Amino acid sequence: MVVHAEIRMVHRGGSKINFREPVITHDSRFLLCAAGESVNVYSTSTEEYVHDLQGHTDLVTGVVLNPSNHLQVYSCSADGTVRLWDFTDAILIKTFIIGYPIYSIYVSEKHGGVVFLVVPMANYKSSELFQLVAVHLPHSGDQEVEARELSAVLCDVSHHPGAASFGREGEYIAAVKGLQLEVFFFKKQKSYRFSLKSGMKKGAKNAFTCVSCHPKEDCIATGHEDGKIRMWRNFNQKKEYTYSTLHWHHGAVNTLCFTPEGTNLLSGGIESVLVHWHYTQENQKDFLPRLGAAITHIAVSPDGSLFCTSHSDNKITIIQSCVKVSAVIQGLVKGDGVWTNLIIDPRSKALVLNGKPGHLQFYSLHHDKQLYNLDIVQQEYIHEEGLDQFEVVKAAFDARGDWLATVEERRKKGAELEINLKLWAYDELTQSFVLNTTVTAPHEDRITAMFFSPSPETTMLVTTSLDGHFKAWLLADHSDANEGFWACDFVGGYHLLKPGCCSFSADGSLLSVGFQEVVTVWSPASWELLTTLSQPPGAIRDLCFGRLSCSKYLLGASTKNQLCCWNLLTCSLEWSTPMDVSLLQTDPLSENIAAFCSQSGSSDLFVFKPSEPRPLYSQKALCTGKVQHAVFAPRDQMLESCEERTQWLNRSQLYFLTQHMDLLTFSTKTEEDRLLASSKQLMVDDSVAVTPFYLLLGKHRGQQLEKQEALTNPMAERTQLPQGSIAIKELLHTPAHVLPSASFLCAMFVRSLLISSSSAREEKEHEEGEMEREKEEEDSEGEADPRLGESATWGHPEEFGAPALTKAQERELRKVRTFDHSWLSSLLDC
Amino acid sequence: MAADGGSFSLGLPCVFSPKSRQYLALCAQDGRLRIWNTDIKTLNQEYVPSAHLSATCTCISWGPCRKAKEGPQRKKRKSEAGQVENQVDLLALGTAAGSVIIYSTVKGALHCTLDASHSGVVNCVQWHPEDCLLYSGSDDTHIVEWDLQTGKARCKWKADRAPVTSLCVSPDGKLLLSAGHTIKMWDLETKDVYRKFTGHSTAVTTLRFATTRPPDSNGLYFLSGAAHDRLLSVWQVREDGKDKNSVVSFNLTDEPHHIDLFTSNSKEEALRLAVVCKDGQLHLFEHFLNGPCKKPLSPLCTVQMTGVEDSPIPVPLLAAALTTDTHSLLLAYGNHLQPVMERVEVNTAERHVCLTRDVHTTLSLTMETTVSKVKTPVVNAKSKVVVPGLPGHQAPVKGALGSEKRKSTDAKEMSIEERLGKIEMSSEKGVKGAPSLQTDNFAVLLVQGLESKDANILNKVFQTRKDMLIKKTVARVPLPAVLPLVEEITKRMQGHPYTAVLMVRWLKAVLMQHTSYLASLPDLVFQLGVLYHMIESRVKMFHKLTKLHGKLYLLMTQVVTSGNEVKDVDHTAKLVYEEESSDEDNASGDEGLPDEDSDNWEEDETMEDKAEEGMRMESKVTADSDIEPGNESEEE
Repeated sequence: MVVHAEIRMVHRGGSKINFREPVITHDSRFLLCAAGESVNVYSTSTEEYVHDLQGHTDLVTGVVLNPSNHLQVYSCSADGTVRLWDFTDAILIKTFIIGYPIYSIYVSEKHGGVVFLVVPMANYKSSELFQLVAVHLPHSGDQEVEARELSAVLCDVSHHPGAASFGREGEYIAAVKGLQLEVFFFKKQKSYRFSLKSGMKKGAKNAFTCVSCHPKEDCIATGHEDGKIRMWRNFNQKKEYTYSTLHWHHGAVNTLCFTPEGTNLLSGGIESVLVHWHYTQENQKDFLPRLGAAITHIAVSPDGSLFCTSHSDNKITIIQSCVKVSAVIQGLVKGDGVWTNLIIDPRSKALVLNGKPGHLQFYSLHHDKQLYNLDIVQQEYIHEEGLDQFEVVKAAFDARGDWLATVEERRKKGAELEINLKLWAYDELTQSFVLNTTVTAPHEDRITAMFFSPSPETTMLVTTSLDGHFKAWLLADHSDANEGFWACDFVGGYHLLKPGCCSFSADGSLLSVGFQEVVTVWSPASWELLTTLSQPPGAIRDLCFGRLSCSKYLLGASTKNQLCCWNLLTCSLEWSTPMDVSLLQTDPLSENIAAFCSQSGSSDLFVFKPSEPRPLYSQKALCTGKVQHAVFAPRDQMLESCEERTQWLNRSQLYFLTQHMDLLTFSTKTEEDRLLASSKQLMVDDSVAVTPFYLLLGKHRGQQLEKQEALTNPMAERTQLPQGSIAIKELLHTPAHVLPSASFLCAMFVRSLLISSSSAREEKEHEEGEMEREKEEEDSEGEADPRLGESATWGHPEEFGAPALTKAQERELRKVRTFDHSWLSSLLDC
Repeated sequence: MAADGGSFSLGLPCVFSPKSRQYLALCAQDGRLRIWNTDIKTLNQEYVPSAHLSATCTCISWGPCRKAKEGPQRKKRKSEAGQVENQVDLLALGTAAGSVIIYSTVKGALHCTLDASHSGVVNCVQWHPEDCLLYSGSDDTHIVEWDLQTGKARCKWKADRAPVTSLCVSPDGKLLLSAGHTIKMWDLETKDVYRKFTGHSTAVTTLRFATTRPPDSNGLYFLSGAAHDRLLSVWQVREDGKDKNSVVSFNLTDEPHHIDLFTSNSKEEALRLAVVCKDGQLHLFEHFLNGPCKKPLSPLCTVQMTGVEDSPIPVPLLAAALTTDTHSLLLAYGNHLQPVMERVEVNTAERHVCLTRDVHTTLSLTMETTVSKVKTPVVNAKSKVVVPGLPGHQAPVKGALGSEKRKSTDAKEMSIEERLGKIEMSSEKGVKGAPSLQTDNFAVLLVQGLESKDANILNKVFQTRKDMLIKKTVARVPLPAVLPLVEEITKRMQGHPYTAVLMVRWLKAVLMQHTSYLASLPDLVFQLGVLYHMIESRVKMFHKLTKLHGKLYLLMTQVVTSGNEVKDVDHTAKLVYEEESSDEDNASGDEGLPDEDSDNWEEDETMEDKAEEGMRMESKVTADSDIEPGNESEEE
């Protein structure tokens, strides 16, 4: 593997944030979730990404709060380490090296200094057997500590993190696998196994999917594949255990979670409904429906005020007190597949691809954040397995972003294919796309490619389909009756061959359509077949025209390891090389063409100009698997890199999507330097007053502290206080029958309280006079004594503690005194 | 003079976030701070300062971009998370009570408050571009330098006799401009006055550095705008210190409210300036700063915005931001409570640009998407649906292929016309010979209807179901009316299936009667192409439909017979009678098909049947006309 110093491949488009259960911190301000090789910290109120905890070298497989310190978290990873973090400042505190890949982590308050990990069984490294082990984390000052003392707790457990749970006060741990529930009691060091019948005869699937234990009572809730939830009780013996069944879900129960007080049980599944069972009244339940996608995990904040649910579409929803969705943290939606290519919206410069089912997602590449989903199909999506529903399979923007064409399709096995072609116009008045024309069944078979003509004069769309035709759609102009709508202009074919791809030349004057082995070149103006080019064997997989100075070239990639370049002026083959090109992508702003080749399980990238024999850039073994989608995104600002190797990245940036749906891109050193140079760390003290009461008390305390520090004779400050307290004492200690009437006393009492302020007023007046004098001084000095403040903070340290005070300190003092806190201080003193 | 201190109106603070302009921070009339996302055009967050009604927010300033925390040059792995463009985070708010609030947009919470230094309204806050410093100017005539690491005032000095209304830190962080009675330039290291500039008679509301050059190079310029002043002045900081008056001024239509500029880094680079005035207009300027210029410069382009109402009401622009691309602008418009953000392409070649925007519907759209993040594009009745068979679904048949052949048969065509002429004559004779009152009436009506395109008459005529009547009527239609009739029939067939059923009879009659005439038309392919496509697409499913029909029929009869068997076997005579009624009952009960539907099947079938017939005939016609025009005579 060659890693170039200048060009680096970097991850974009967020990793999977729904991989493991998220964690809400004690103060409910942050949400932590495993995201690829790091742990991301989000703000629960703004759904904004705050920072990440970086350090793991493999997939992070679990995050839990440290039960002994609520400002720390443990994270475990497949790289065989457990790391302890301070999440507020993103500091790695300690690394514990375990030595085995870890699949999940559990902690309990009862077991301080011990973490429970799921690791593969030592003896069966290759097999899929896992065990739950307890690890004593050694106390040591080092950053990296080896913790190899593993003591097995349970053998043969599931690696799924929801399949084990600590019971009441950490007394037992419950784990499920297959049809068995195992409960291990730490005190007795004994485990009980309960198994269910497979129950296959009635179509019921009894297998366990998840488990959660009640935090206060001896009760275990288990979820099952058939949608049932069983509540196990009395399980500290082999025989007389009982269970009751709750049933609402029609699909498998994906996750279960008790609220911290145990009053409620939350469950979720594919129905994308959060079900909220009342623990004491089991027939009562609340629902929070339409959460968008199947629920995979549920987490509750330690105070029970916030719930969060992870969803299968790479989303975390934060729910406030079970009724209101307050925030949605959305990563790049990773659906079943990307059928549309990666497209750049010319208007918003966002990346467009398949999003939620039936939607197109707009993803901002600059901010690495999803912007929104555009509802194309506009039909209710039914969250159930095994249904065929409409999906957006193709999308295209015209050159200026005024038109969006989408193809939606319902793939049914063994039934008629349903296809709709929709053309959306961007309406500037309403700032939204407006449906202009719907074409039902535009073709009789699947549409293989769809492109807008890049020429500015005509708005033309070309679709190619497996039915052996390609169609050109034109926006009807003023002469036509159906003005302003789209209509078919031309249907073309070539010897009943199936067209697989098409491409417009940069100016829109030529259209090339690949009919299996044959490339046909048409003139869109007259729809004349200009020429045919062919280079058998192998069907044409991808076609593209050269740009700018290379516009005379047409490149085609064939299935039989051939990359051909034809010269359109001579209609002859210019060159060809044996390459298994899976994807050709042209840079709209330069002559460069990127070709992704798949070779022995991994992909290579070549960037070249059609006119030059040597590639500009090549990178072997880019990633494993085939690269299916790529796009050049134009840069906002051109880079000015003179280096030959990085020049191709100056105008636009290449993004590509791997088989595992990771969005990757290339970044150059100059770009990173620029980013680094433009930014600096802002260190701002965030000592924020939390409540108004704290504001009041805290200020007072702070001032008292200041006083104690600053004053050599604190008694001078407190002179007025004893008076007030004497009056109160008198009032409280004299027997009631000797006291004068209340009306008489009241005035006296109030006056006693007022004394302090009157004395303060005297001082204030005095001070004001001084202030005026000072002001005059300042004016006479020529309005400049800017160092006054500095002298206040630094002022004469050698004199500190001496009775003599600096002028500034004195003034500070007076100001403190003018502020009337006497009522509060008298209360405090009493 | 700037003595009127607190009374000048700055307008409501409204600031775009730096660099990528991702957010717009806006403090509306209700005292709440709202941050809008300009990418999605939705409300990102709302913050209510604890004393938002008494201590209203007077000024906003975005902090410099936050840096992603980076350790000491970590070893870079192959595919590490890429550095995303830096996120903006902190926002400084000056309040009328004299405190400065620092708000974190990432956490969505108050970050810290800086207070107890100003006794008057804070008029302006400015961040230091490099260090963790913040400057605030207040009505109490002082400027305070805050150290944000400690959250305390580091330095406070009296700047002027009048309230400090505006501040600006130079891009290199060494100089500070303040405006009170006069504009003063301070050296931030020594806190000494570096230069003084006088000229504005009202409170200066805006100060911005226009260039990034050092002060002693004669190339440092800044601009200032004042309340009630329709000029924006540019000042030069000259080497010799003889800077008395402004060197350039820009003409505006009202006092400036929001200014965005691209500083020029060299003499060759023009200063780009976007000024939003109080009257809601946006002025764009481009100017090469190079010494004085006597006349006030007029804008390169003025942008206004109106609503879509009948009497266009101007929509005020709130803020505008320039982008690196010279043609595109980021605009915020509407009202402060619900502004609309948009990136627009403005043709700067035109001096005056007026944009029309539907503010009301746009506003209603922006609020929905905040949580769900789903935008629903507009689907209204105006959109067109093209189904197979309608024109536009298939390419119009242009007869391009047959054109050459037709040319070659030109000579023969003459003879056909002659022949047709004869036919016409004979048919006319026939009409005269035996006039049937009713049919004649219909034919006349039809011709009238076709000529006047009167839908009522045509509807009346086309409602007929009697085959004989149709046949006779069509036979009596004069030849010139045949083509309009075919067109009318085609149009009606594209509509509802019920009308199509009626039309099929007519089409059949027309084709039977007038094939020879139609075949003689030169542009026959074009005329009948639409009809042909429609018939083809409708018949496409016919095979499957018949299959389905057959299966259903089989199923129904099975159901009926099985039901009867259970009932009784004895009453053989009555069974025949009951069969029909129970047939219908069972059908509606078991299959959930309403009775009408089963009727429809029949009709559909007949329609399709007819259509197929029509198609067959029609295709024959095409074949005739195209390939073997000679056959026709034989047929006749």
